[in-house]
Amino acid sequence: MRSLPFALFTRLIPVTLVFLAIQRTVCANYPVAGVAIQVVLALAAGAGAGAGSERGAFAGFAMGMMYDLGVGTPLGLTALAYGLAGLTSGYVLSITPEPQWWLAAIFVAIGSAVGEMAIPVVKFLTGQEGWLNDRLIVVIPIVAAAATLLSPICVPLGRWCAGAKRRTWRAIPDE
Amino acid sequence: MLSRLSRRRVVVLLILTSLLLITLDRRGNNAIIDKARQAFAVVLRPFDVAADAVSKPIANAWYGITHYDDVKDENEALRDQLENQKGAEIEAQTAITKYYELLKLYRLNSVHNYKSVFAQVVGEAPSNFQNTVEITVGTRDGIAVGMPVTDGAGLIGKVTKVYPDRSVVMLITDPQFSVQAQVLSTLDLDAASSTTTTPNTAPSGRSLDSTTSTSTSTTTTTTPPINATTTTTVPGQVDAAASGTTTSSSSTTTSTLPDLTVRRETGVIEGQGSDRPLLFSLIDDTALTNVKVGDRVETAGGADSLAPQSIPIGTITSVTRRLGSRSPIVEVEPNASLTQLNFVSVVLFVPNQAAI
Repeated sequence: MRSLPFALFTRLIPVTLVFLAIQRTVCANYPVAGVAIQVVLALAAGAGAGAGSERGAFAGFAMGMMYDLGVGTPLGLTALAYGLAGLTSGYVLSITPEPQWWLAAIFVAIGSAVGEMAIPVVKFLTGQEGWLNDRLIVVIPIVAAAATLLSPICVPLGRWCAGAKRRTWRAIPDE
Repeated sequence: MLSRLSRRRVVVLLILTSLLLITLDRRGNNAIIDKARQAFAVVLRPFDVAADAVSKPIANAWYGITHYDDVKDENEALRDQLENQKGAEIEAQTAITKYYELLKLYRLNSVHNYKSVFAQVVGEAPSNFQNTVEITVGTRDGIAVGMPVTDGAGLIGKVTKVYPDRSVVMLITDPQFSVQAQVLSTLDLDAASSTTTTPNTAPSGRSLDSTTSTSTSTTTTTTPPINATTTTTVPGQVDAAASGTTTSSSSTTTSTLPDLTVRRETGVIEGQGSDRPLLFSLIDDTALTNVKVGDRVETAGGADSLAPQSIPIGTITSVTRRLGSRSPIVEVEPNASLTQLNFVSVVLFVPNQAAI
């Protein structure tokens, strides 16, 4: 297993730059039902589902920081939301060390929903009111559904970015 | 290191770090964060360009295939609209010229006193909780934070972040956006424009000597309180007064406006999120009877305002009274089509720091 700082500079930053560029161009200009698909969030949730809560949280935090720097949102806001996304989706590894693809997809969806929901909540708590409204009923399911569809790519890629290896069951060694 | 941190400690660490960063960023004037953003923008630019270059042809082809009929219909509708606008444009140009003269005469401050820089919208907000667009001008073009941005139809937002060659514009629908605005309403609009066709007849017994023309049609608009006569010259028309000849024309169309009383009510316009109308809060609640659906809303100007006076914002679409409250909900539909922005103009008006 690579250390997170090593993976951060050699894997996470370049991959996130590519995802961020896709987010800023493709996802922003071609929304689905008026909702921008969040690919960086899906990657953060994928990192959690692939590498566990702790690594997922730090990877999500780093991705969120890059998002804040690139998009112009208050620094730390998206970082916190994406960190929570990575943390939440990482709970799948508490259930089983080797989750099936559909189980990982479900947790990626849950993590994405938590991350997307956290943004207006944090905005509200920091005095930027007006975003906690009925539009969330449309936004959250679409973002979560998109993350589910992207999970077959985002989970292995997120795991690689977080410097983790796929966990497997191990037999107890003989005495 | 991570293995030594429990999940709870990770959460606490993340939350504390984030709150510290948010606090630092929101306090503003943080040179380190600003420089980090600028440096990151430079790093991200090649990735953006590459992603755009790859995605655009595919997206355009897909759009062309799926929306061909819509585009064709829209094109025809726009052609019709353009034809209808041609006549109105001539009248409007005359009115604008006179408006400039009056502004100059009374040394009034308006948007027309400021230069503007044209820009193209290159990107929309990638987040679902941010109503912003990115434009192609920045500090190199004289852009500064707080400057109002307009398109052909009216105000679209204000500059919130500036980089050397690009800027981020917060749209008027963003819940964080607010600007001082005013409603200009006339008391008797219905009675306006009573049109008669009277050869060589001036309204209110005025002499037509100065406005007689040799053309086939002359439109004269008289507003009694102002006591002025406006002659609109259509292409190919000869100004009889200038040439010194007075001839009888075949017909003169005279529009007489009633005694117009223009009421001005000021307040604050705020965004409510995308796909929602703007919210207009009047400063004087007792002025409600003067505000009605269909009234135009424009920027109010003033020392602490974000924008100079007279930039159109939108039209009042509903005035809803609330039980138990004096203040009603006044909703305004923006003039500008915020979902289809392409070319915009940044007014080089630096607002007071308090307004930003």
